[in-house]
Amino acid sequence: MKRIMILALVCFTALAFMSACKAKTQPTPPPPQVKEQPQAEKFVPPPVTKPALSEEELFMSKSLDQINKEKPLAMINFDYDKYVIREDAKPILEGNSGWLKKWKSVKILIEGHCDERGTEDYNLALGEKRAKSAYDYLTALGIPAERMKTISYGKSQPLDMGKDESAWAKNRRDQFLIIEK
Amino acid sequence: MKKTFIFSALLILLLGGARPAGAQQEVNLLIKDGMPAIAFALPSFAASGPAQAMAAEIHDVLEADLKYSRIFQVLPKSYYAYIKTLDPRSIVYKDWESIGAAVLLTGEVSLAAGGDIVFERNFYDVKSQKTIIPGKRYQAKKTDLRYLAHKTADEILKAYSEKPLFTSKIAFVSNRDGNDELYMMDYDGANQTRLTFNKVTDYTPAWSPDAAHIAYMSYQQQTAGIYILDVYEGKRTAVSLRGGNFSPAWSPDGKKLAFSSTFEGNAEIYVADIEFGPTRVGRIRRLTFNPSIDTAPTWSPNGREIAFTSDRGGTPQIYIMDVDGSNVRRISMGASWNDSPAWSPTGDRIVYVARVDNLFDLYVYSIRSTSFQKLTETNARNESPTWSPDGRHIVFTSNMKGGTQLWSVDLDGANLRPLTAKGDNKLGDWSN
Repeated sequence: MKRIMILALVCFTALAFMSACKAKTQPTPPPPQVKEQPQAEKFVPPPVTKPALSEEELFMSKSLDQINKEKPLAMINFDYDKYVIREDAKPILEGNSGWLKKWKSVKILIEGHCDERGTEDYNLALGEKRAKSAYDYLTALGIPAERMKTISYGKSQPLDMGKDESAWAKNRRDQFLIIEK
Repeated sequence: MKKTFIFSALLILLLGGARPAGAQQEVNLLIKDGMPAIAFALPSFAASGPAQAMAAEIHDVLEADLKYSRIFQVLPKSYYAYIKTLDPRSIVYKDWESIGAAVLLTGEVSLAAGGDIVFERNFYDVKSQKTIIPGKRYQAKKTDLRYLAHKTADEILKAYSEKPLFTSKIAFVSNRDGNDELYMMDYDGANQTRLTFNKVTDYTPAWSPDAAHIAYMSYQQQTAGIYILDVYEGKRTAVSLRGGNFSPAWSPDGKKLAFSSTFEGNAEIYVADIEFGPTRVGRIRRLTFNPSIDTAPTWSPNGREIAFTSDRGGTPQIYIMDVDGSNVRRISMGASWNDSPAWSPTGDRIVYVARVDNLFDLYVYSIRSTSFQKLTETNARNESPTWSPDGRHIVFTSNMKGGTQLWSVDLDGANLRPLTAKGDNKLGDWSN
């Protein structure tokens, strides 16, 4: 037993010695060369000096379709079989006139519409009367007549296809379409 | 059988309104007072081989025309089984008299060279055994069978001093192909044909008296203008393009066009001279002068008066004025909304639309008795009436079965039937 232990010890020592010798012969790899990186120059593109569009230029750059989609001119509604400008329509027309005074080159088409509870013939004339009421009101607010044109679509172009008073009330209206700028 | 039929018809006439409900379907009375319908025998037309189907088509269209006329009572086919088969070369008039026929129309269809057909017809008075109108042979294309039948029916009407009806056309507005365009069709709804092809709305067609032109409004370049279309040449003439222009109506002589326009600011009625035929517009004269709406003119058939709609009294009502604009008088009463007058070709009636409780119905105003009678009762919106050339029928726009369609009804409220089905259809105008 003791002999075995001594043998094992010898063997162990021998192995340890050998491995130590082997390690000595192996050349140590050179340290990785650290290349000097060039300092990254920060590139800041010169700010595209988009010429700051004036409000007017921005307006002129838009198509009529775009402008009409933005609905700068609000519509007004009417009572059944009536073409007088309602009290609630007056501030709307004043707002519209303010916008028209700002954009002096704009020409508009005032469209008069009716609800379905009227006959075709009379509604065509009634729609024209409604358009004319807004035309007269805007003229009185100082919008030159030659910037406005009227048309009646009678009941042929309802906004709301519903069959109740809330739909009809929406359909009795003047719309303001920008046709020139 | 026939005797009792005539007798009961006379009886009903004598009794006036007190007719038994059961007899109503059997007896077809002429609308013109006091004359029962003429018993009309229309046996199948002789034909052989491939001509048979064509003979049947001409026969059926003609039969439908005669029934629609309200002048004739076409005998039921079953009656013909009681007598010998017709031999056009030797007619046994006694047989036809025995089944109650007053008149007899015989026809023969054969094929001709070039794919055409030949239709020969004879029209007899059974009692006197004489022809009522001279016999006639027509050569026609196979595609014109309906027209051939309508033409024959019109010749029969003329033999009774009636206004031809069956070759007339109805112009109307349809959105079936996208937007509102003008179309026309036969009186019975067949042959629906598109007339205008553009992207804008074309509206309120009105036939010229010679049925060659249509005046209408069109939204060209954001203006509601009035134009005249040459239906068969396709040419278009502008009549009025300033302001908004609505509701054109031809004078009965075709030399003037009345319409409503806002070109001086307010909707007034004007009359334009169409002096040099319907392609050149002359002087335009104003007929109404007041700050309210004046629109929807319609001429009396003698050309001396114009009925129209005005809201000068606060609500839309029907008025009549002399053709120079003088002597204005209101005719509509009761409802708070009356519009779309149409003067009958017989001159004694005006049909118009009245709104009562949110429903729109047609009413017929009698000029002689200054009374009016309700014509439609369908719990719907019935509007834009137009008369048949003979004044016995009215075509109008209705949403009674959903959608918006053209319907036909007789002056006594009978024979209500739709004429259109595709898309929305409206604003019918019946030619002379």
